[in-house]
Amino acid sequence: MNDRSKSAGATRPKVVVERTYRARVEELWELWTTKQGFESWWGPEGFRVEVHTLEARVGGALHYDMIADAPEQIAAMQRMGRPTSHETRGRFAEISPHTRLAITHVIDFVPAVGPYESTMVVEFFPSGESVRMVVTLDPMHDEEFTRMSTMGFASQLTKLDRRFGG
Amino acid sequence: MIMHIDAFQALADPTRRLVLEALRHGERQVGDIVEQAGIHQSGVSRHLRILHEAGFVSKRPDGQRRLYSLRAEPFRELDDWLAKYRSLWEARLDRFGAALETQRKDRRTPRKEKRT
Repeated sequence: MNDRSKSAGATRPKVVVERTYRARVEELWELWTTKQGFESWWGPEGFRVEVHTLEARVGGALHYDMIADAPEQIAAMQRMGRPTSHETRGRFAEISPHTRLAITHVIDFVPAVGPYESTMVVEFFPSGESVRMVVTLDPMHDEEFTRMSTMGFASQLTKLDRRFGG
Repeated sequence: MIMHIDAFQALADPTRRLVLEALRHGERQVGDIVEQAGIHQSGVSRHLRILHEAGFVSKRPDGQRRLYSLRAEPFRELDDWLAKYRSLWEARLDRFGAALETQRKDRRTPRKEKRT
């Protein structure tokens, strides 16, 4: 079944999240395509990222460490005997400045499943003083969520559950 | 957790989604599904077996016939899983917005181009 799902890219269930921000599209673009911008927000709750390489061009590398930095996340990782930092690799599969970009992550950490790729697409729709940002995701193959799922603690990372975690 | 990935794999196949669609209106036997989904019988049987193994479909004998129907549990689990996934991303978009604000404050030098 693994092989089947890998070849079924176009038909996988997708999740679309979107948000409208009062800002210029250049400002949004910067948060995806510069080291400083990317580091300022990427990563699940309780983690930060340290970017080693970010080449915002088609085929350009994206290489970063995802590091647990909230005390409860560090403790959770240690309890599970997991390292508190994970190296993550991907590349920019598409770049159309201020319009659209796609990032492909390499998923190589799922037990008993060979490496595969997961791509997310981000689109920007400026209108007046704001920009609508639409992110199309591949939930089954999402890099971070898959990692969290394989660790068995995805729910701890959601905002909804945060209040229970103190 | 791996179970959820299997559920997605079960649903990743468009033919299997057609089979599930055919079962939405109640119990069916293979022949009904073949007719409704327009797929060859051997394909339907194979996909029903996979869906059964993944827990999406239950079957019961009725005389000579076998009747297939949907099970609610895996769909609920998928819903929960997707809701968690979505909230993870909603939180991330919150942080994206906060990062935008910070970026703006850091650069708060009088600039005329901000007006549109």
